Amino acid sequence: MGAHPILEAEAVERRYGNRQALVGLDLRLARGEVLGLLGPNGAGKTTCLRVLSGNLAPTAGRVAIAGIDLAREPLRAKRQLGYLPERAPIYPELTVNEYLTFCARLRRLPRRAVAEAVDRAKARTGLVQAGSRLLGRLSKGWRQRVGLAQALIHDPELIILDEPTDGLDPMQTREVRSLIAELADHAAVIVASHVLPEVQAVCSRVMILRDGRVQHHADLRADAEAPPWLRVRLERPTTADQLAMLEPVAAVEPAGHRCFRIALADDATAAQLARVLVAQQLGLSELTVERSDLERIFFQNVGAEGVA
Amino acid sequence: MIGLLARREWGLAFKTPLGWSLLALSLVILAWVFLRVLDRFSGLDAAGGGAGLNLELTHNLCGTAAVLMLLVAPLLAARSLSGEWREGTFELVGASPVAAHDLLLGKLLGLAGLMLLVALLPLALAATLIGAAPVDLGMMVAAVLGLWLTCLLFAAAGLFAATLTSQPALAALIAYALLVGLSQLGRADALVAQSVSWLDWLSWSQHLFWFLAGVVRLGDLAYFALLIGLFLALAQRFLVNRRL
Repeated sequence: MGAHPILEAEAVERRYGNRQALVGLDLRLARGEVLGLLGPNGAGKTTCLRVLSGNLAPTAGRVAIAGIDLAREPLRAKRQLGYLPERAPIYPELTVNEYLTFCARLRRLPRRAVAEAVDRAKARTGLVQAGSRLLGRLSKGWRQRVGLAQALIHDPELIILDEPTDGLDPMQTREVRSLIAELADHAAVIVASHVLPEVQAVCSRVMILRDGRVQHHADLRADAEAPPWLRVRLERPTTADQLAMLEPVAAVEPAGHRCFRIALADDATAAQLARVLVAQQLGLSELTVERSDLERIFFQNVGAEGVA
Repeated sequence: MIGLLARREWGLAFKTPLGWSLLALSLVILAWVFLRVLDRFSGLDAAGGGAGLNLELTHNLCGTAAVLMLLVAPLLAARSLSGEWREGTFELVGASPVAAHDLLLGKLLGLAGLMLLVALLPLALAATLIGAAPVDLGMMVAAVLGLWLTCLLFAAAGLFAATLTSQPALAALIAYALLVGLSQLGRADALVAQSVSWLDWLSWSQHLFWFLAGVVRLGDLAYFALLIGLFLALAQRFLVNRRL
């Protein structure tokens, strides 16, 4: 990572009594990067986001936003932070305009810049027509939009979104994904989600947590450029070495009883592979494009591959 | 920032029925007390003169308002802070550049505005007698000042209690226990010896008494300033510790 990091977390730990909720988190995130934070319930995602947002103090380690230490200078560091918690933090008795104006002032935007910031945040989150509506009467999806609007109203350098598309319909979900991509032009973004395709669609990096520990941390863009794997089942006893000799095959991995994962050679197609396997009379009974790498990686790391 | 948070508290009170209901309820109760006091000073068996009337008005109106606010102010303060945790809005404040003492002062200032309106009700009722009876407005203003400071103390205790628990009702109960305990400290004098009169000084009711008598003493002002400051300092400490 060449760019100057917006977020730096070094050896961050968080303990609740005797329970370790977060262990040894090291993270550097630069402008333009979108990190997807994955993990089963109770893996430590929300604790991680609460520590990075300054809502919880780490038991050990250091967090810096835009080079400013979050523990030493919390007020300066938090000026660069936009945070959407799991439950949109709204005041039901306020209208959308009143709430966003309050949030803009809370983030210490100059008074003269508030009206413009509110209009811009509403335009980005599709709230232009909803300015005078009471927050208490909005549906969950609209509340989530308002929550997003407050997180980006002050153009922060670091945006942390916990389940940003929770409660949104498919159309709204697509809009939010585009918005996250747009936000990443000017900021570093962290998105915690349970929806794997969403993470794959919007994130450039992924981090998988389990029991508070980082199980996997990888660049998704590099993975996306790699060709997909195919999964084949052969009825005749065959070894991986035999399959590796075939022309369309670049790599082979055993994947259970009589099953193999096959990566195709350059310019080879699944149809070519099927023709060759049939011609070799290997008893081809199944050939599928393997589900996304992210899904496989996720289940491998949370220890539920057999269930998936 | 303090002003912004105070306006938000003020808005919370008056954009919902809460503030209006409190004012209406207080006015009904105080008007009833007011009429009962007037009864004693009208008709053939009217008691005493102007001084007696003023003392009765301050004691009955401001005393009743103090009891009412003893019940209401800690609950309002506890709801204001504990509610932020319960509703999840504290995460918004926690991730914003807001210091814990700004948050507490903002909340206290917002509640102080609401409680000033309640504290002014006895003055407004007494002012209706101007021209018809020798109302001592200076004495009434001193009593209202004492009542308002007492309300601020109740709210500060409520804010402190709210930093101990996310349940507003439990926080209010803790604040009641603290405040009732403090008001009863003066009774220790009667039970033991004269040497424990400093306990008497700790009792807020003793200091309110002087204001209701129309006497504004520096020692009483200092008492309220110290105790409000103490509760806010404790609240700030506990609020910071909640992150740990």
